[in-house]
Amino acid sequence: MALAISMLAFLLPGPRGPLLLYAVTLVAMPIAGVGRAIRQGLFICLPLWFFLFLLHGVLGGGPTFGVGPFALSRDGAELALTQAGRFGAIITVSLGFYHSFDASRFLNAAAAKRWPLHLSYLFVATLHAVPAFLARTASILEAQRARGLRFGGGPVARARAVLPLTLPLILGALAEVDERTHALDMRGVASTRLRTPLMAPKDSVLDRVVRWLLWLTVGAAVVWRMVG
Amino acid sequence: MDSRNHRPAWPARGAAVWGPPILMELPSSVSARLLALIPPAVAINVAIGRIVAELHLPVYLDAVGTVLVSALAGPVAGIVTGLIGQVLTAFISGYIWLAFAPIQVIVALLAAGAAARAGFRGVPASLAWGGLVGLIGGVASAAISYVAFKGVTSGGVTAVTTILVSLGLGLAPAVTVSSLLTDVADKAITFLIVGVALRSLPVRMRGRYPLGQRAVRR
Repeated sequence: MALAISMLAFLLPGPRGPLLLYAVTLVAMPIAGVGRAIRQGLFICLPLWFFLFLLHGVLGGGPTFGVGPFALSRDGAELALTQAGRFGAIITVSLGFYHSFDASRFLNAAAAKRWPLHLSYLFVATLHAVPAFLARTASILEAQRARGLRFGGGPVARARAVLPLTLPLILGALAEVDERTHALDMRGVASTRLRTPLMAPKDSVLDRVVRWLLWLTVGAAVVWRMVG
Repeated sequence: MDSRNHRPAWPARGAAVWGPPILMELPSSVSARLLALIPPAVAINVAIGRIVAELHLPVYLDAVGTVLVSALAGPVAGIVTGLIGQVLTAFISGYIWLAFAPIQVIVALLAAGAAARAGFRGVPASLAWGGLVGLIGGVASAAISYVAFKGVTSGGVTAVTTILVSLGLGLAPAVTVSSLLTDVADKAITFLIVGVALRSLPVRMRGRYPLGQRAVRR
């Protein structure tokens, strides 16, 4: 669903199509129980919207029209609205999918679909590694600050602090690879043999119908844009 | 200690296809070592963003893990790292960022090429290779930014683009100049960090990655 909406955001003509799609995602997210995706999406979108308005609306060329104290480019404003709608719809729906993602359910579903375990493992292990590394980064920052490393000053002084902060992170990660290799070897994760999932998630008729309808809509939008 | 821990990253070599051998040898299976190496490398790509934000530097350094894995285990492992990192970024902050996946592929291929030619043997070599990768990546990045994003991507680069447009430059040249400036600096620092990290590794640990040995040979 998230992929289909992302494709539709680029296929539907702007600015109405992407803006309408964004409005649909704003309604759909709370219904799907992932309303926080809207707030987080806004945090990511606001700076992008600001620069779109500035770069295309204020600094854009061609005929202009007045909005309060600004003289906005007509073409630029239309382009900015189209891109703003695309960013809003795609970012919100991606975050909605992220918040509804269940790693163990995904592993079982991937095994049921006979995907190689190491591919699904790589994705899920990475997803779990990121918070751990962010926490480790915070510790390194605090530790180096306590040792007197200066984070301020000019760009050169700040650039000098990069190595003392990144090297402990990289070397620590590489030092752990041996231990992890051993653990993964013991569990046979690198094996190419297929696994049997104990609890394969059910792919209901409704799920399949919704998926097919979305892909049909994407296909119809492609044909419409090519013909129209 | 279990001898399996000392296996190189790729356990067996598969079919070699056209092109320089070091770049085009495909693995026939994935080793546990690679499965252990790739997730932390992707996490490093993300976590270094926190350090950059703390230091208020106008670069991303979001390819350190990709370059590291490419230099240690070759281009295919580097591409997998870069692509998984890009998918993860798209997953947690929007599928629009998937458009930049080709940049990760370019960086991984060039980083493996640099490693094969001892491109991490010292600071000047690392900076030169990083600058070259930044130049190529910057051109590709500018094309993606202009076509898919109409010049508006992340804060720092877009701010430079906006300044250049306000000075009278067209959108396409402004996007190209800002992407090149940022990418050359970004990749030069990235290669410098990875070079120092590779040279700091104990020989015994680096010896488990034959390409890593070659990357720092003098």
